[in-house]
Amino acid sequence: MHLSKPHEDAGCLVVNLVNPTAGLFDGDEVEIIARVLPGAQLVLTTPSASRIYHSRTGRPAIVTQQILAGPGCFVEFYPEPIIPQAGAIYDQRTFINAAHGAEVMFFEWLAPGRVASGEAFQYRQLRWQTELFADETLIVRERYSISPSHPESLASLTTKFACSHYLGAFIISDKPFPEDEVSALNDETTYLGWSPLHQGGWIVKALCADSLSTRKLLSKLRGIFHTALRREMPGLGRF
Amino acid sequence: MLPDWLPWLLQVNDSAFPSGAYAHSLGLEELVQNGVVNSPDTLETFLHQQIIPALLTFDIPMLGAAHRCSAEGNLKGLLALDQDLEAWKLPAELRSASRQIGSRRLTLIRQLDNSPLSTDYGQADAPCHHLIVCALELHTLPVAAAACAYAQQTIAGYATAAMKLMRLGQERCQAIIRRAVVTLFTRIEQACQLPLDQVGWFNPLLEIASMRHARAAERLFIS
Repeated sequence: MHLSKPHEDAGCLVVNLVNPTAGLFDGDEVEIIARVLPGAQLVLTTPSASRIYHSRTGRPAIVTQQILAGPGCFVEFYPEPIIPQAGAIYDQRTFINAAHGAEVMFFEWLAPGRVASGEAFQYRQLRWQTELFADETLIVRERYSISPSHPESLASLTTKFACSHYLGAFIISDKPFPEDEVSALNDETTYLGWSPLHQGGWIVKALCADSLSTRKLLSKLRGIFHTALRREMPGLGRF
Repeated sequence: MLPDWLPWLLQVNDSAFPSGAYAHSLGLEELVQNGVVNSPDTLETFLHQQIIPALLTFDIPMLGAAHRCSAEGNLKGLLALDQDLEAWKLPAELRSASRQIGSRRLTLIRQLDNSPLSTDYGQADAPCHHLIVCALELHTLPVAAAACAYAQQTIAGYATAAMKLMRLGQERCQAIIRRAVVTLFTRIEQACQLPLDQVGWFNPLLEIASMRHARAAERLFIS
């Protein structure tokens, strides 16, 4: 993993996480630990999609990402989509720990595959685990496995739209949630909901009809959240 | 000889048992309003593709663990599972519905057949999620029987809610429940034993539906 051109913008350190290879292959293991010190401000992003390639050996590619947000810090994780290609096996484990007073924006985007090439939901298996602690309390736990060999595991992604892109976001902040602005993002290509978590923080989930609507939604959400958190939005260093 | 627990099971699993579950659609109302579920056929598909797998990979294994804790009198274990459910249930409305139904059930079982564990649980300021209280309430039953009872409540809850939301007659509703329950019950014993580090189900569609329902301008159900 290459940390590309870290630079300061709007008071934040903006870091692009670049995988120097074409994507992730079976047996690859990537571990990311971002420790954000008290009062620091960090934006972590990826400049291009994370492609997960066909597993030749039956082993998964594994990404483990930890975000340890110190007291009073700000951290944003804003990645490009994960695109699992035909035959891919992928495990993603995310652990976020937000200390008291930390503000966190975490986004994730799962594409159905290489849809433009007619390849959707042809991966073998995706396993997802997420845990989010805020002020030492577990407020989010998600674990799931999606496999086209068990079609019911895909039902959520194929019922509303035939090839849904899935977008999730977690927001940790004590500032008011922009309820009306986020609700207004629903349209004929976006099925979106948001909710308070059980002890502080917010979740947004959306199913989008295609990549264009997902990208538009992600970009709008980012702007809305920066405004709600009364922050100047840093650029991501790309067009 | 009939098992001692049978009269208790028949009473607490009766649709007349006032747990308040009848007032919840658990996200189904929004899916109907949005046209995702709009007929008896799509209701049945929804149950088989989204609710039964969720029961088998999440609710039933959690209930199995809670049942073991209840049978051992392990209050600390029960409380930990209950607290865990707070983090698993991401939409506030689903979380709240589960707590409301569970709390109501706990109040009733303490009145009808109190036990030291029920008393301790009632005084522990626990979230009282439905499946935890179900495990507590049915801890004298074999775990698979308790799981069947919980699963039947869940399936019947969705199906009877659907009767108020779409054109669905009672006979068709019962046929849908019957097929769902038969499908589920062949796999329920195995699901009770699924290790907790393997539980989980992907259903953003239902989660989003619940989140949207919480802000719906018009609604028939609490959730």
